[in-house]
Amino acid sequence: MSEEPKLAPTVGIIANPVSARDIRRVIANATSLQITDRANIVLRVLACLKASGIERVVMMPDNGGIRHHVRRGVERSRNLGEHEFPDLSYLDMTVTGTVDDTVRAADLMRQQGIAAIVVLGGDGTHRAVVSRSGDIPIAGISTGTNNAFPEHREPTITGLAVGLAVTGRVPEAVAYAPNKKLVVRINDQAAEIALVDVALVTERVVGARALWKPETFRELFVTFAEPEVIGMSAIAGLLEPVKRSEPGGLHVLLAPTEEAALTLNVPIAPGYMRPIGIARWQRLSAGKAHGPQITSGSIALDGERELSFSERDRVSVMLEENAFRTVNVAAVMDYAARHGLMRQAGQKERKRQVS
Amino acid sequence: MSKNPFPLDKQGLLEAYRTMRTIREFEERVHNEFAKGDIPGFVHLYAGEEASGTGIMMHLNDRDRIASTHRGHGHCIAKGVDVKEMMGEIYGKAMGSCRGKGGSMHIADLSKGMMGANGILGAGAPLACGAALAAKFRGDGGVGISFVGDGASNQGMFLESLNLAAVWNLPAIFVVENNGYAESTSREYAVAVDSYVDRAAGFGLPGVTVDGTDFFAVYEAAGEIIKRAREGGGPALLECKMIRFFGHFEGDQQTYRGKGEVEHIRANQDCIKLFADKVLDAGVIKRPELEAIDKEIVKLIDEAVITAKAAPLPTAKDLMTDVYVTY
Repeated sequence: MSEEPKLAPTVGIIANPVSARDIRRVIANATSLQITDRANIVLRVLACLKASGIERVVMMPDNGGIRHHVRRGVERSRNLGEHEFPDLSYLDMTVTGTVDDTVRAADLMRQQGIAAIVVLGGDGTHRAVVSRSGDIPIAGISTGTNNAFPEHREPTITGLAVGLAVTGRVPEAVAYAPNKKLVVRINDQAAEIALVDVALVTERVVGARALWKPETFRELFVTFAEPEVIGMSAIAGLLEPVKRSEPGGLHVLLAPTEEAALTLNVPIAPGYMRPIGIARWQRLSAGKAHGPQITSGSIALDGERELSFSERDRVSVMLEENAFRTVNVAAVMDYAARHGLMRQAGQKERKRQVS
Repeated sequence: MSKNPFPLDKQGLLEAYRTMRTIREFEERVHNEFAKGDIPGFVHLYAGEEASGTGIMMHLNDRDRIASTHRGHGHCIAKGVDVKEMMGEIYGKAMGSCRGKGGSMHIADLSKGMMGANGILGAGAPLACGAALAAKFRGDGGVGISFVGDGASNQGMFLESLNLAAVWNLPAIFVVENNGYAESTSREYAVAVDSYVDRAAGFGLPGVTVDGTDFFAVYEAAGEIIKRAREGGGPALLECKMIRFFGHFEGDQQTYRGKGEVEHIRANQDCIKLFADKVLDAGVIKRPELEAIDKEIVKLIDEAVITAKAAPLPTAKDLMTDVYVTY
């Protein structure tokens, strides 16, 4: 690839079949987007990438069914002459069937100089991608459970916007937006990140991972807080909204409702409203490390318990700005409309030009 | 000492460890004894999968009924079936749980809510529906739990049971113990739908996938699912992703497994080691406490084997007892 003088952009797709399978399907009637639906989303994205000038796409391999359905879908669609698709290849990597595949795929895509990564998953899958994707812009499609990070929109448009952005038809300043992240450090271990929220809870086992017991919630850090999302960041969103695009985040100290100064009703999981005790809250500035108020418990990154810590551990949480880039789908589509990027000469005009 | 950060108190944690270690020791011992040729029939061992059966069964009582699989020793032990009687049954002796007529694949003890291991794949699912229907009629908050493997999850009976449980809103729970192999056939090849959660959704019931090698993941998810079923919330499916240390059956050459696969999982994904590391690290339990349990279990299984070997076989006059039932 490197010897080619002008490199046509290659887009990466990471669709992890393991998201949206946890206990929230039982406790909160959460969605369980089927594998075939996820594969169909990939097919829609592929068709729109091709329509916007992308010739090559590389995907993360999986053994959870997405790859097989996509292959069958491409074949079927070609037979019927429905869509044109870019050349599709898969990363050469061992599939483990865990989130490690996502991390490895993002790593390989960064090394291969992919122009942008389309991510299908929940906040957890997006976090795994961003942990390795470096400066490569990502475009998120929500297929998970709480999904505060990926914006909710028809994937067709996401695919189209990614194509328009990476082929350079929309200026970089318009096409890409900077994002914040939270960096968590325990002792001298490698840092972990969160894209939306870091929650500290008293339960010290990672267990079933999801968070649904408010009596265990003690502290929350968020990069942004929107009042119309669900999950842990909704607590902050309903207290004091913070935009993705503005500096700083929010830091909320939580308490059992019987000890709290304020109680807030929050959808902490899909359809799952619970009273949350609030002790106090403050704006969170970038670059300052915060130690937790509790001495032992577990740390949930973007809504899932991932790490546990005890009195012996030194834990810090820090907000970082301009941490990674996303494709600004709304801005790209607005630019495309205003600058006529989807327009072509009509048949009448073409005939006139020929004559 | 640190505050206990676990969802079980110290006694509960020790009980979980004891159950898992008992299953492991039982299975390792049956593996060795089977190689000597004294055990009749086939045996299918549960070693490596202990966290699943134990994490689920700790939420149950004797009134709750389970229907097990051909790989049923672990389910029996976790459900409270007497270990010595089990060993006697495996040796085909009159002292066995089923008076020596069932063998490894048909150990049952209704007094413990254990409706039986089952040599017919998927056949436990309709039995669990029946138990759940009975519990629903009695209104006693009982549940029926069916265990199947990834292979048996393709059986018609299992799929019909999902439908029946959903239609009747039964307190039935379907546990898919997915160890990746239907005998020697990979799940990837043999299961058309790619996720058991999708399969459950197809029948209108919620499904959850957990890491079946993490006792606490199983315990927590199973707790919520069982509580929901007891309170009238209806059936659910729980997929436990797990691994087995031994072959499909004893004597299986396992040529379908990758080189070093078993060594790798024994070293890195042993659910009992993972559990012990967590509780020791938290300082809730000290290593000598676990070692004391290990010793007791070795002694128990030793006695079980010695007793079973020495016990008499059923006689010709026992041939027709416990076989037919008059209603």
